[in-house]
Amino acid sequence: MLELVDLSKKFKQNNAVKNVNMFIEKGEIVGLLGPNGAGKSTAISMLSSLVIPTKGDVRFNNKSVIKHPEPLRRVIGMVPQEIALYEDLTAEENLKFFGRIYKLKGNALKKKIDEVLDQIGLTDRRKDIVKTFSGGMKRRLNIGVAMLHDPEIMIMDEPTVGIDPQSRNYILETVKRLNHEKQMTVLYTSHYMEEVEFLCDRIYIMDQGNLIASGTKDEIKRILSAEKAILIKSNRWNDTFITSLKQDPTVNRVIVEEKEITIMVPKEINMFSSLIRIAEDAGIELNSVDIKTPTLEDVFLHLTGRALRD
Amino acid sequence: MMIGILQAKCKLFLRNPLLFVIFTGMSIVFALIIGGAIGMNTIHVPVYAENETVQDSFIGEYLEETDVYQFSWMTKDEMLEEISNGKAEVGAVLQEFDYQLIVGVESVNTAMVDQTLRDAYMRNIQLEQMITAAGADTGRERENVLEELQSAMASPVFTIETTSFRSSDSFIYDNTFQSLFGFSLFFVIYTIAYNVLPILIEKKDGIWDRMILSPIKKWEMYVANLVYSFFAGYLQVLIIFLIFRFWVGVDFNGRFLETLVLLIPYVFSIVALSIFLTSLMKNAEQFNAILPIIAVSMAMIGGAYWPIEIVESEILLALSKINPLTYGMEVLQGVAVYGYSIEELLLPISILLLMGVVFMGLGIHLMEKRHV
Ligand SMILES: Nc1ncnc2c1ncn2[C@@H]1O[C@H](COP(=O)(O)OP(=O)(O)OP(=O)(O)O)[C@@H](O)[C@H]1O
Ligand SMILES: [Mg+2]
Repeated sequence: MLELVDLSKKFKQNNAVKNVNMFIEKGEIVGLLGPNGAGKSTAISMLSSLVIPTKGDVRFNNKSVIKHPEPLRRVIGMVPQEIALYEDLTAEENLKFFGRIYKLKGNALKKKIDEVLDQIGLTDRRKDIVKTFSGGMKRRLNIGVAMLHDPEIMIMDEPTVGIDPQSRNYILETVKRLNHEKQMTVLYTSHYMEEVEFLCDRIYIMDQGNLIASGTKDEIKRILSAEKAILIKSNRWNDTFITSLKQDPTVNRVIVEEKEITIMVPKEINMFSSLIRIAEDAGIELNSVDIKTPTLEDVFLHLTGRALRD
Repeated sequence: MMIGILQAKCKLFLRNPLLFVIFTGMSIVFALIIGGAIGMNTIHVPVYAENETVQDSFIGEYLEETDVYQFSWMTKDEMLEEISNGKAEVGAVLQEFDYQLIVGVESVNTAMVDQTLRDAYMRNIQLEQMITAAGADTGRERENVLEELQSAMASPVFTIETTSFRSSDSFIYDNTFQSLFGFSLFFVIYTIAYNVLPILIEKKDGIWDRMILSPIKKWEMYVANLVYSFFAGYLQVLIIFLIFRFWVGVDFNGRFLETLVLLIPYVFSIVALSIFLTSLMKNAEQFNAILPIIAVSMAMIGGAYWPIEIVESEILLALSKINPLTYGMEVLQGVAVYGYSIEELLLPISILLLMGVVFMGLGIHLMEKRHV
């Protein structure tokens, strides 16, 4: 239904998005994952016709969105990364304003506002000025505003950053419900693995402007099926230890952090005893050794050599 | 849908009227104090007449009638003392056909007093010539001629048009209007600019993105925002002028309505300038830092703080030519002080409108080109 074809965006010298290909089918919840600066927002802005790509095309039902943005704009709902609300107006006034620019009026508008307020759980705060809201409530209203015109496709740019767990769950449940009840198609951007794991059918992972992985949750995890991660902890490391680990022929990769080291090894290898020996030789006291089943976080680590969140 | 934006803007305005009230209040207070409209600040000028007839002549009457300066007659010694101990900045020794300025402190007033005196003497000479031409020799005849002249002036059969717009030697310094117009036009820059700035903020926050995706048109968004800024600015000056007209009692020389109408081009040009300025700024902080610099420079070289006629630097004068405030002052003073007709003010009005169109075109263009 919605496709990105070889999409690139360059800001002066900065290649924010490089040759990205993606597609979204009707009724799906698709996740777009990536660390800060990965190019998620830029990709989303191009997809929703707000930013003109340097190269490539966005296609909606096989028609170019760049040339004809209207058909897409009519059915799209956008939740921006920032709180895009009038902070000095009340929740209800905000909804009224954005409803009006979508040509809703009179009773239809009133009913819609009541419905949305109910869905985002702000009915009893409707007369309060947005400035007085908590971060979570603002986020919820930010989503509510995008729901006024019953969009078929909802594009959400990190709708849960910086909010409390309850609001977060509320938002995730709302998204899931909208998808179920109204068959709303959702593109959900985040740098929280858990959210994407909970919500999405399919996932795209971006890093530094590139699309580095895509597929269903299982497919993505299978990228790691040939490897496993061993997580070891100690109070301090030394160079001898790290060098010997890296030189060990069974080890694929070593990722060093302050108190943790992740070692990637082929699945069939049992390196427990050799690990203990290397530690003894280097005079390192290990606090724990853990063998992890792969998570999306590990996939990311595997693909980029960096953690998803700093 | 544009109405929707305007309504939202009005609600926001009513919820946060503080800045508007402050700028309106400052304009009024500054204009009252510095303009001396409440009569506490007419400038005192000591004069000494070498020839006693001067005081009773036309010159004496003329000087007593001007309300910007209060000329007080005294002896030469008294006058010199006032000047030397700083009670007065400038004084004058008046002879029958000539005068001498005694300058204590060089200031705006020196030139103004000089101007006023020169006017008095010039008119006196004109009057004498008319009387001579009328062939009046005796005292009685002179009186008759003068009376007739006066009634003729009160109901002229024809008017001689002075077309020397802004020629350097015919400028009238009216302190009340200078300050009233100057401070009104200066402070309104802030009100307008701060009402245009939200365009930038709303773009950053994504409110504009939301509107772009909605059925509302881009031009409607700009028009609604700019119309709103225009009215906020206009309302401010309107309030100030109404207060001066009906509360302080400044009568705008009977041309109050024309003054209000001719305010429009200036307010329009400032709205345009604001959108242009906004389009060049990276963020609101930068805007807040730069606006006062721009507004104050505009006021200084545009004649809001002091009459532009006393500016001599070529560079500043050249700069004043691209400053909407210069033309705004020219138009308002043209109407209320010089009594010019709209046709006579067509030039500065057209320049203001042209500037408005150019700045607005550039501003919107740049605003659209930037990312964010
Ligand atoms: N308007 C812009 N002008 C210049 N550079 C930009 C602009 N917008 C984004 N960039 C750059 O493009 C890159 C990608 O930014 P983008 O906002 O798309 O990342 P993101 O994945 O959304 O990150 P985050 O998780 O922080 O929101 C960054 O390096 C950013 O600095
Ligand atoms: Mg982003």
